[in-house]
Amino acid sequence: MFLNTTAGRAERSAAQHRYGSRLGWYLLLSLLPGAAPVITLAGPVTTGAKPETGLRYWEWNDQGVLFRLTQRLPDQTRAYLLARGFDAGSADLAATRCMFQSMFKNTRSRGAPAVSINLEDWRVHAAGTEKRKQLLTREHWKQVWTQRGVSGAAAIAFEWSLLPTRQEYAPGDYNWGMTSYGLPPGTRFDLDFSWQREGKLFRGRLDGVECPADIHPEPQ
Amino acid sequence: MMLTLKPLRITLLSMCLLVVHSVYAEQQPQLLQKIPDQPPAPDFSLVDMEGVKHKLSDYRGRVVVVNFWATWCPPCREEMPAMERAWQQLRTQDVAMLAINVGEDEDTIFEFTANYPVEFPLLLDTTSAVISAWPVRGLPTTFVIDPAGRLVYRAIGGREWDAPELIQQILALKTAADRR
Repeated sequence: MFLNTTAGRAERSAAQHRYGSRLGWYLLLSLLPGAAPVITLAGPVTTGAKPETGLRYWEWNDQGVLFRLTQRLPDQTRAYLLARGFDAGSADLAATRCMFQSMFKNTRSRGAPAVSINLEDWRVHAAGTEKRKQLLTREHWKQVWTQRGVSGAAAIAFEWSLLPTRQEYAPGDYNWGMTSYGLPPGTRFDLDFSWQREGKLFRGRLDGVECPADIHPEPQ
Repeated sequence: MMLTLKPLRITLLSMCLLVVHSVYAEQQPQLLQKIPDQPPAPDFSLVDMEGVKHKLSDYRGRVVVVNFWATWCPPCREEMPAMERAWQQLRTQDVAMLAINVGEDEDTIFEFTANYPVEFPLLLDTTSAVISAWPVRGLPTTFVIDPAGRLVYRAIGGREWDAPELIQQILALKTAADRR
């Protein structure tokens, strides 16, 4: 699959797509009694495209956290799920719910505190709507596959392919996994994500993330 | 003149040391995370690719590295060669290594090993019953179990397993047990 028409341009402009700055984090503390302090960050977000595929990525790398989303074409997900025993209808259902390859890492050096995430706290804000939605987590998909009668082995493979809903990352720990945003192909959205460290809740945002279109590129 | 330059020199030297320290800290290999309370490792009985049964409790008295993985998981694939290199060092020290594949069949794993040949046992957790009983939420996750059968270290995500610091960390468990 080669989508190189936009790749070079996007890659070249990657550095120009940094918005916010390390010094520019504004913040603040929600001082509700008993609540964890909330620190909202406008950290540096890098966007670009993988030169070999043209698939776009959005990356946050600040405050000891590296979080990256890379587009997955619906066809990639279809092929992956069909190879693991999904029926065509179920594979298509998942493939067209805006899947991204994701990576979350605690980048701090040894001895630093752990970072924990809970995807149920993250919110998806689709362009043109006021509504904020949750991600489609492992727990959501497990119910879907049970209802659709997807085989055990296929459902297991899918479950472990998704980023864990909850996880604690010691320094150097990381997970790769798919994340699913429940939006139609081609939709743009903002993602409010968060993590906790030492009892403090940190919030970050990826703006203008694009669900990949449902295209079927031919090899060049 | 010398007196006025001295504080500047000290400041510059301190800044250089700080930069060197930061770079060094980033390059340090990531060690294994110690598990609080060190709970007993949940026992399991699984067959490997040769059909040989492995019961974890049979390894009591030895240090065991238990890795959960799958062929479709990029960091799992990436760390396999390093695990094999580590295994070649650890096996001579009577340390066991078991890699538990989650949810895949023998044919898939067999195909995988053509590109990633390893000599340590690859066990089959086809129903995910074992991984569900362990404190694992994502792949790869690796544990180091001490000779008393306790979960001592954990690593989430891939590691350069043959890094001397990691090998040393694993062997230290054996040394500590031997001294007792």
